[in-house]
Amino acid sequence: MKNLSKRLGTLALSLLGIGAVIIIWALAVRYTRIGLLLPSPWEVVKRFAYVCSHTIGKKYTVFGHLLISLKRVLIGFAAASVAGIILGISMGRFKMIEAIFRPIFEIVRPIPSVAWIPLAIVWFGIGENAKFYIIFMAGFVNITVNTFAGAKQVDENVLGAAYMLGASKLQAFFRVVIPSCVPYIFAGMQVGLSTCWMAVLAAEMVSSTAGIGWTITSGQENGDMVQIFVGIIAIAVVGLLMAVLMRWLEKVLCQWRERGS
Amino acid sequence: MAENKVKVSVKNLTKSFGDLLVLDDISFDVQEGEFLCIVGPTGCGKTTFLNSLCRLYDIDAGSITLQGEEIDPKKHDIAYIFQEYSTMEWLTVEDNIRYGLKIKHFPKDVADERVQKVMKIVGLTDYAKYYPSQLSASMLQRVVIARAFAVEPDLLLMDEPYGQLDLQLKYHLEDELISLWKNTGTTVIFITHNIEEAVYLSDRILVLTNKPTKVKENIINDLPRPRKVSDPEFVALRNRVTDLIKWW
Repeated sequence: MKNLSKRLGTLALSLLGIGAVIIIWALAVRYTRIGLLLPSPWEVVKRFAYVCSHTIGKKYTVFGHLLISLKRVLIGFAAASVAGIILGISMGRFKMIEAIFRPIFEIVRPIPSVAWIPLAIVWFGIGENAKFYIIFMAGFVNITVNTFAGAKQVDENVLGAAYMLGASKLQAFFRVVIPSCVPYIFAGMQVGLSTCWMAVLAAEMVSSTAGIGWTITSGQENGDMVQIFVGIIAIAVVGLLMAVLMRWLEKVLCQWRERGS
Repeated sequence: MAENKVKVSVKNLTKSFGDLLVLDDISFDVQEGEFLCIVGPTGCGKTTFLNSLCRLYDIDAGSITLQGEEIDPKKHDIAYIFQEYSTMEWLTVEDNIRYGLKIKHFPKDVADERVQKVMKIVGLTDYAKYYPSQLSASMLQRVVIARAFAVEPDLLLMDEPYGQLDLQLKYHLEDELISLWKNTGTTVIFITHNIEEAVYLSDRILVLTNKPTKVKENIINDLPRPRKVSDPEFVALRNRVTDLIKWW
């Protein structure tokens, strides 16, 4: 009960913060020259409601654009997760694999995902594959780094105990190493998902005819400030929902990390 | 110690790390069902000794046999309790204790019975569904001990398992350990730097020297159980062992 009221209090404060920003935004637009650069919150809400049932561009409503972007993110993110988890655990547990791949990975690691855009276009053209590649690179690095850290920090005492209790190397790997890494993998996937989401927008803003990133670029080309804001808000809401979903998944799969009373 | 049958036989065990000779030609036997405590000066290589014994470390020379065969954790049922807690954070208390039984493919009914039995002895029945993050330090170590006893190992190795606990908890867990040992008849090799603990628990005490480590003395401890730390015979034995490990 005490917990619930504390959480409700936090939620109320968060809503108050958002409300304050919206009010300041509305007042600034109404009473200052900022109104020349920004649409009012009300205009954005009205347009948002409108593009839920009417198309932006020729084919898709805002939901259609969001679904296109989400599909791109999910494909790139899934590939990044599989590759990142395999490489991270392999580098963390096998010295030879670490020796071979870590230097290459450390070179690739600091490259921002947007820096891959020109190369991706040259290699894959302006189709979907280039976008998948950019998204993949954005997620892959974060997931690999975290998984690698997790694999390095597997408690050797627990591993030793498993071996002493008769576990084979394979059993110890699947029953000790992998479960130990799960929280790190999730941390990497959470960061990875948000960077993938950022990368899809960057990729769509460069070369696309649909997707939420394209709606922003299209708004900019047409001088339609309201459409830009609709795109930005859609991105923010979906990004938030994805983060909440990942946190919920982590809570379900890593419930053993929750400290009880 | 009901029988007089050699369970573990260590012959001429030698182990070095580079130029540093740690274990120097150590030989001794452990009887079946015996509770052997090993004491020695700080840094004498007690843990190296235990790790060599269960082949976590390769040895340079000598042989270690369990029931007449070269010791092999894959072949023999050996359990090892470390000084640090080695609970699996992602498993409940019950599943932690069941871990070894699952690995060894024990039938479910046998596993259930063993898990319930050891949980009852160490007083964890009410915490069966808890995760390690929800337990206190003493409970964590009880989980580890219960997990080791659940597989009814041929040999149980314990490396200062109560080193991080306060005195009261330590006394309590020592009694639990004795109770488990008596119930299961497991052979135990227990390393400690605490001489009182060694006298309280053991059937026999092996006193090691400083590095390069040898066996300094082999002391039979036939004090009646349950033992009292204030008993004059207990105190006398404790003082004798203390004198033996003095290096100053």
